[in-house]
Amino acid sequence: MRAGAIFLREARLAFAGGGGPAAPAAFFIASLTLAPLAIGQSQATLQAAGPGVICFAALLAVLQGAERLFGEDVADGTLETYGLSGLPLSVVALAKVLGTALATLWPLPLVGLGGGIAFGLPAEAAGMLALALAAAIPGLAFLVAIAAALSAGARRGGLVIALIAAPLAIPLMVFTASAGRAAGIGDAAASANLLLTCAVSLFVTALAPFAISAALKARLE
Amino acid sequence: MFSYLANPQRFEKFARIAIPVCGWLAVALIAAGLWYGLFSSPVDRFQGDTIRIMYVHVPSAWLALVLYFAMGVASFVYFIWRHNLADVAAASIAPVGAVFAALCLITGAIWGKPTWGAWWVWDARLTSMLIQFLLFLGYIALRAAIEDERLAARSAAILAMVGLVNLPIVRFSVEWWDGILHQGATVFRADGPEIHGSQLLPLALMAIGFTLLAAWMVLYRMRSAIMARKAANLQRLREARA
Repeated sequence: MRAGAIFLREARLAFAGGGGPAAPAAFFIASLTLAPLAIGQSQATLQAAGPGVICFAALLAVLQGAERLFGEDVADGTLETYGLSGLPLSVVALAKVLGTALATLWPLPLVGLGGGIAFGLPAEAAGMLALALAAAIPGLAFLVAIAAALSAGARRGGLVIALIAAPLAIPLMVFTASAGRAAGIGDAAASANLLLTCAVSLFVTALAPFAISAALKARLE
Repeated sequence: MFSYLANPQRFEKFARIAIPVCGWLAVALIAAGLWYGLFSSPVDRFQGDTIRIMYVHVPSAWLALVLYFAMGVASFVYFIWRHNLADVAAASIAPVGAVFAALCLITGAIWGKPTWGAWWVWDARLTSMLIQFLLFLGYIALRAAIEDERLAARSAAILAMVGLVNLPIVRFSVEWWDGILHQGATVFRADGPEIHGSQLLPLALMAIGFTLLAAWMVLYRMRSAIMARKAANLQRLREARA
């Protein structure tokens, strides 16, 4: 079995099953709709809170599919097949998470862009926020995947995933939201924050497959 | 030293001496530190009597950090060499660390109200400590959620190591996010501590006392955990025979 085949298989499965890209996007839109109803419709409040609320809602949208990510593979024996494929589990993890993330999470930056405009951010700020979200999403997906792999097969796995992933996601949350906020007031720090988002996201993408493979290996023994 | 103690019988021998020594020394040092801190040290020029909260607050903060680090190292040792005792150590450290982090947050809030005029402000250090508390909670929750003991141990060890790698980035990001409100480092500085001797003495007593208290609790919990495992094994043997 080739890594490319795993990538394609997982991408197809994620795209077709469980709502595909529509599920996280719809969840994202729903939470963005609730936010102004909760914090009030004043333009100034929405502009100030917008980038943060949008990043936070994006994290929730990434989290909502997490329990399915490895739970079914551990339960139905797919994991054993991957283990027998001769590929290192870290490569399997990389292919699987990238495939799933690309197939299901691609609408999030677009929704983020629309959300930014709906929250009254200037166009450059909404664009910067969407860019930063696009940069952050691979990192978020891999962090959530670590939490998902660690709690695969646990009771109330979803709850544990959220509790584990929340503190790990802080750097991406901080830099992504700061990029949007800084762009909103025309601050030059926006691009610095975008670069930091890229850096953390790359760092996580490079290292997370090893943590995921260690967690999966423990489930194969 | 770790591989020497990895043998449970040697650990038992070590713990039988170390537990009472740590416990009583902690009692003595904390009593002395409290007396110096509450009665015998002068009132601070700027902060008045509220400074005395520092003698509990600062050692708790140090210990929350040190215990998180220790938990990460123990997890690493368990993950690489599969010493069961290292796993017992990590599992025993987690709740103790969480309690110290909580103590640090609570004393910080009590100190913050008269000094800053607010129970809580979102500055970098407070937020970092809150995150630290969450990391401990995540570790405890993950362990509790997985029924298979060996799987729980390995998953928790991976989580602790991931958390340890991630912690510097979290701290950097939180400092980046924040302007500076908290006072900077005053004790561990290159040009010597910037704190008066009359405050340093009770602080040092309390810090060492709290460290011994933590060691006492961790060792006690470790010995209890080992005994509980032994008892469970004996129970299983008896049921198998019957």
